[in-house]
Amino acid sequence: MRNLVIKQARLGIQNLLPSLISVLLACVVTTFILLLGGYSPVAAFTNLFAGAFGNPYRLSETFVKAIPIAVIALGTSVAFRAQLWNIGGNSQYTVGAIVAVAVNIYLDLPPLLLFLLSFLAALLAGLLFGSLLGLMKAKLNANEVITTLMFDYIVAFLLSWLVYGPMMDPEGGGFPQTALIPDAVMFHKLLAGTRLHTGLFVALVLVILLYLFWKTPQGLTINMVGHSKSVAKASGINVSKTIVFTMALSAAFAALAGWIDALGIHGRLQDNLPGTLGSVAIVVALLGRLHPIGIAFSAIFFSALMVGGNTMQRFAGIPFSLVTIIQGLVIIFVICGSVFEIAHSRKQGGSHDA
Amino acid sequence: MGEAILQMKGISKFFGDMAANDNVNFSLEKGTVHGLLGENGAGKTTLMNVLFGLLKPDGGTIFIEGNPVTIHSPAQAMELGIGMVHQHFMLVPTMTVTENVMLGLHLPKFPLLNPSLVKQRINELSQQFALDVDPDALISQLSVGQQQRVEIITALYHETTILILDEPTAVLTPDEAKELFVILRTLKAHGTSVVLISHKLEEIIAIADEVTVLRNGELVGFTKIDKEVTRKEDLSAMMVGREVSFDFKKQKGTSMHEVLSVRELCVNNERGVQALDHMTFTVRRGEILAIAGVDGNGQKELCEVLTGLRQPGSGAITLNGNDITQASPKQINELNVAYVPEDRQKSGLIMDWDISKNLVLKNFRKKPFTKGLFLSKKEMDEAAEQAVEAFKIKTDQVSTLVKNLSGGNQQKVILARELATDPDLLIVSHPTRGLDIGAMEYVRSILIAKRNAGVGVLLVSADLEEIFQTADRILVIYNGRVMGIVNPDVGIQKVGQMMAGITTGEAHA
Repeated sequence: MRNLVIKQARLGIQNLLPSLISVLLACVVTTFILLLGGYSPVAAFTNLFAGAFGNPYRLSETFVKAIPIAVIALGTSVAFRAQLWNIGGNSQYTVGAIVAVAVNIYLDLPPLLLFLLSFLAALLAGLLFGSLLGLMKAKLNANEVITTLMFDYIVAFLLSWLVYGPMMDPEGGGFPQTALIPDAVMFHKLLAGTRLHTGLFVALVLVILLYLFWKTPQGLTINMVGHSKSVAKASGINVSKTIVFTMALSAAFAALAGWIDALGIHGRLQDNLPGTLGSVAIVVALLGRLHPIGIAFSAIFFSALMVGGNTMQRFAGIPFSLVTIIQGLVIIFVICGSVFEIAHSRKQGGSHDA
Repeated sequence: MGEAILQMKGISKFFGDMAANDNVNFSLEKGTVHGLLGENGAGKTTLMNVLFGLLKPDGGTIFIEGNPVTIHSPAQAMELGIGMVHQHFMLVPTMTVTENVMLGLHLPKFPLLNPSLVKQRINELSQQFALDVDPDALISQLSVGQQQRVEIITALYHETTILILDEPTAVLTPDEAKELFVILRTLKAHGTSVVLISHKLEEIIAIADEVTVLRNGELVGFTKIDKEVTRKEDLSAMMVGREVSFDFKKQKGTSMHEVLSVRELCVNNERGVQALDHMTFTVRRGEILAIAGVDGNGQKELCEVLTGLRQPGSGAITLNGNDITQASPKQINELNVAYVPEDRQKSGLIMDWDISKNLVLKNFRKKPFTKGLFLSKKEMDEAAEQAVEAFKIKTDQVSTLVKNLSGGNQQKVILARELATDPDLLIVSHPTRGLDIGAMEYVRSILIAKRNAGVGVLLVSADLEEIFQTADRILVIYNGRVMGIVNPDVGIQKVGQMMAGITTGEAHA
């Protein structure tokens, strides 16, 4: 895994071809699986496509689901570019959502102020949480895979405790959920009758901001630490500081995804809020080759699979697990592709001074 | 005895245009210890990697007990009775000796592993060769010397008749080295033939029966060792080679004021062993001070301390009058110190990045490379175009990834970056290792040009030819100590002897 992602970080949008091939190969293998199971591949793929893009409502659902996936994946890509394997998207998303909801239901302020204040609070919470993870890595050399994974459990149980305990809606009839955020604070709906909300624009702005960030000196510094810590050190870069900053930035994106979802869809906290978002975001970041625009497209692709999968199951009678199979195959081919690329580039160069 | 168990005839191995082995012959007799002597990069390890099936030779034949063989893999080498102990151990610290031995073996594919059988064999070997290894001990609990014995057991596990040891004493304390020699004598007594790769003259004379000397990939000598007759001086002459031709017409250095001063510097390495022992020296503007020494005598640690990458234990370092003993790499950088590290691919360059970016690793945050918030690719590329021209870097475009450049051109990229800021002090470590002749001369001419321009140059090198071509003064380092600071006119033999740790008195005796 050490070198897999690095190959991708270097590549720009023009090099998305390997990802497209991975997707294509996954579809080919899926076709065979469908034939083996006695299903019609044509019916499966048409229903999958129609389910995701077939009418305005389905299309809107695809985008609604893509928003948090994309924003968490942006954060994941920041850490991955520095060779920091932050796999705790779920906990960082949840922290953002908890803070956002808390500000909105406990403070009595004008809606605009609540909106801005909850944004700042979620951002700050993400930065602080990420800094803590970064400090553990930089100062104690704690493996970030373990720490981020473990914090997923800690934060998930924290959320459970909050919705069953101190933050439970007193007028909610004992349901494990908080009170609702005032309607005036919530993101406006973009299309009547759909859940698509203006948080979509926030996500787009974040994609653009990250795209620009990679063109700043600080962005280059993160990449440099990812490529070679020893070169970075010799070039006068404070590697520990960079690790803390990278983790803070990475977690901040996920926390903002939690804020967007809280004010865009959920409106309250419930148990198990993030579901599988964090793990999907990892795959999306890799499939998008750690490039902000690549991530935006691969988030839409994965979201479409999930939304379309439901329709396919209902109308074509093909189990939803097919979607899981496609996702799994995409991951396998993305990783195979990286391995192949590395082997190829080794053959071409790098044999000086052998 | 007198029968050759192994013969290698006309072995050649090329890496690109560089001959690591050029038509080398090697013959090993049964039940002897055979020293393979040479400087770093002479081709010793390459030759043995060919024998062990790790490298495919470009020419030549290997005979085992008179029969020609082709060895494709280490597994096959082991079947032929060849075992190898590498310089860097390949042991898993959290596992036991038995488990590690099983990992290192190419065992037949049993349905199940059989640890008790392996353990029994370890005990057997341990007794037979007085290795004294506990099969149930965790690797992390063992000393370096004991870990090496675990490696030896792995190498001996299959009925091994030829054992190759690659610089086995490099990691050992003197006492551990003595114990190793006892083991080697036991092996010899049991009829095992040992190849001992080394560049330490004393140990070759102490333990070896015969010695083969390589230089620059070529066979330069073979001799039987007689402890009474063989002198270090003769071997050192063979190893270092011909008298050097002074190609560079040097003008006498105009020694101005001190730029770097090091006083009583002591430093420990990662293992907590003292790497530098009360070193004291100065570098003046307009001179090249060469640090001559065999690798691993503290040069790496010295460079790291001087550039802020390693904390000194005690002592003082001053640069242009500023105390930089505790300074960070960034602070030292800003005091106009340039550094060309030893391992250019790992510490000097980001191989996956292009030439432009590699040229600004140290100053991309500054104008003109950062304008406002953003990096300016245009400015970087323009500066890179100039550097490519000034330093004759062979490439079509500045967006070429440095991994696709030759070693010489990679080194030029580093030099271009480091010299861009007009340094007061230039620290270069093995700047021409692995380069072709043309690039070598170019790099050396740059060092001399900078010296003539008044830069203080600290050149760390194991290449005496390079040192005698360029240096104004030579500091010989041995075991982290200053053996002496001499002028080049004392001659290459003398410096070669000092590098081997032979003191002045001994050398004249």
